[in-house]
Amino acid sequence: MIMQQVLNGLVIGGVYALTAMGAAMVYGILRILDLASAGAYAIGAYAGLFLYLATDNIVLSFTGAILLTGFFGTAVQKLLYIPMLNRPPIVPLIASIGLFIFIQDLLRLIAGPRIRVFNVQLPFSAWRTENLTVNPTWILIILLAAAFLALLWYILTRTRIGLAWRATAQDLEIAKAMGVNINKVVALNFFLGYSFAAAAGIMVGMLYSSVFPTMGDVPAYKMLALIVLGGLGSPVGTVIAALLIGLIETLVAGYIGFFLPRDAIAFVALIIILLIKPEGLISKKA
Amino acid sequence: MTQKRMFTLLALFVTMALLVTGCGGTQSAQSDNKGPVKIGFFAPVTGPAAADGESVLNAAKLAVETINNDGGINGRKVELVNYDDALDSKQAVSIAQKLTTKDGVVAVVSGSYSGTTRASAKIYQDAKIPMISAYALHPDITKTGNYMFRQSFVGPVQGKAGAKVAVDMLNAKKISILQVDIDFGKTLAAGFTEKAQQLGAEIISVDSFSTGEKEFTPVLTKIKQLNPDLIYIPGYAAECSQIVRQAKELGITAKILGTEGADSTVQFLGVAKDAANGVIITTNMNRDSDRKLVQDFIKDYNQKYGYKPDMVAASTYDAFMVLANVMKTKGTEPDTIRQGLTEVKDYEAVTGLIKGYNQLGEVKKSVQVQIVKDAEFHYFGEISDDDIITPPSE
Repeated sequence: MIMQQVLNGLVIGGVYALTAMGAAMVYGILRILDLASAGAYAIGAYAGLFLYLATDNIVLSFTGAILLTGFFGTAVQKLLYIPMLNRPPIVPLIASIGLFIFIQDLLRLIAGPRIRVFNVQLPFSAWRTENLTVNPTWILIILLAAAFLALLWYILTRTRIGLAWRATAQDLEIAKAMGVNINKVVALNFFLGYSFAAAAGIMVGMLYSSVFPTMGDVPAYKMLALIVLGGLGSPVGTVIAALLIGLIETLVAGYIGFFLPRDAIAFVALIIILLIKPEGLISKKA
Repeated sequence: MTQKRMFTLLALFVTMALLVTGCGGTQSAQSDNKGPVKIGFFAPVTGPAAADGESVLNAAKLAVETINNDGGINGRKVELVNYDDALDSKQAVSIAQKLTTKDGVVAVVSGSYSGTTRASAKIYQDAKIPMISAYALHPDITKTGNYMFRQSFVGPVQGKAGAKVAVDMLNAKKISILQVDIDFGKTLAAGFTEKAQQLGAEIISVDSFSTGEKEFTPVLTKIKQLNPDLIYIPGYAAECSQIVRQAKELGITAKILGTEGADSTVQFLGVAKDAANGVIITTNMNRDSDRKLVQDFIKDYNQKYGYKPDMVAASTYDAFMVLANVMKTKGTEPDTIRQGLTEVKDYEAVTGLIKGYNQLGEVKKSVQVQIVKDAEFHYFGEISDDDIITPPSE
């Protein structure tokens, strides 16, 4: 049973990691808490679903959807956040809440309020022993999450644009003065961030075979918990926080049967961990 | 020149004032027996419960159309005055105020959930406008006063019926309960537990989940270890479909018994697909009924809206039909409608034979038991024992 629960926890954690990664990157570079990336999660899921219905090819629809959502992200930063950069942080935060609500209602108007069924038949079936069941979608989720995070790690640590990203995250003004093309860095940041969120949205849509306009609601606030827990804008910290919260939620729900809803467990864990380590799991100075 | 302009403005103002009061005058002229009969309606057409909201609004429109096609209320057309409460109690309250003071409705149907219906019930009661709650099942709604009626089973009735199905029809001895952690799940589970224990079964585990939960593998892994004969899930379609899917994936072989919350063709059958086969639910609609009324409703609804109606749609449709029937014989004054509702006896509705409403306004009718076969709900049984289906009267 413990094996099964750890696997369950890792799958959930992987999804959380991808969902929160986009917002963590945006926070890391612009210091904006971007709730609208939970909207990107829903957009990705819908785009994936519609492309799948049109092409019947999951690889094509997956790629198409994350690219589309990525471009949407660059448009959002250009039209919405860049003009607000010199305002107090509360202004872009409220704008992002507005954008998130707008996205949800737009999806409802376009695709209707009902759950849309996202049923993808994978070419492998579940693997089952006495004590352990492994669902093919879970494997896909873990592999994809690992691949995306490896890609991010590679970009951040091994490329010039990654270097520019890190410089910008440290101090936007100084990086600009040193000749870093801030616009390019920010645009790529949003492109990647929204693509991650879209990938998470599609995978969750497939995992639960359902896509609906308000599917971003829970990720929107859980994402915030993960960013804070991860040490505000640290990508590595966010991944660790996501896996940790996934595991804690699963083990608490499976063994203790908490009196709080599962989503609240994330916040209880957040409070406890922050009491012990107020700077988050990975602090900026570390 | 300025004086002239002032006069013009004044004249304009007076005209507008007259127009506004004039409008008010026609709106409240409800008892002239010539204009349309207005029935108020509210449902969560947007917001988190938008799918049910859309379903019931469709049903309300279909009901009004059917009533009007059949000649209306003794020659008068029925007009639907509908609002979207977005599943927000504050909006439900202001809708109630609008319906009772401005719109001049003679009766109201709630197509919304317990929270919103409860919040607005007192306003309808104070305004002495009868309200039928189509499917909200919190006991307090009818306790608000004598103008409140309910079209669907109150929680304990359906819970007890579920226990009868589990123990007597499915021979379950060890039962796990997985309930949604709100009034809906709790009242159903309480009724279920009481009756199941009385019938000799043992409840081996009770777990709760919140609405909107999608991930049940942790708790299902735990339940699998306990090896129950049956899992009872008082919850809504979105969660039930995930429970059923994930239980199947984990290789759980226990029988699964749901409630009317899972009675949804799109959200439950559509999402759960093959995993739903064999799932049994207690509900108030028998799809295999040979009554023409039921088959016509299913056919008309499907033709008009492109999907098969669910329990909430059927209950809402019936609420309007019951009102129309009462108004035809008793008249269209709110007081006479209320009186008429208390006198309803053996009325043939889509959701079965309505034996009547008790002094609390609770409906009495048989509980339907449906089983999923090939992604469709089919007849499995019917619970009509008097001790189970008689609703509490206080």
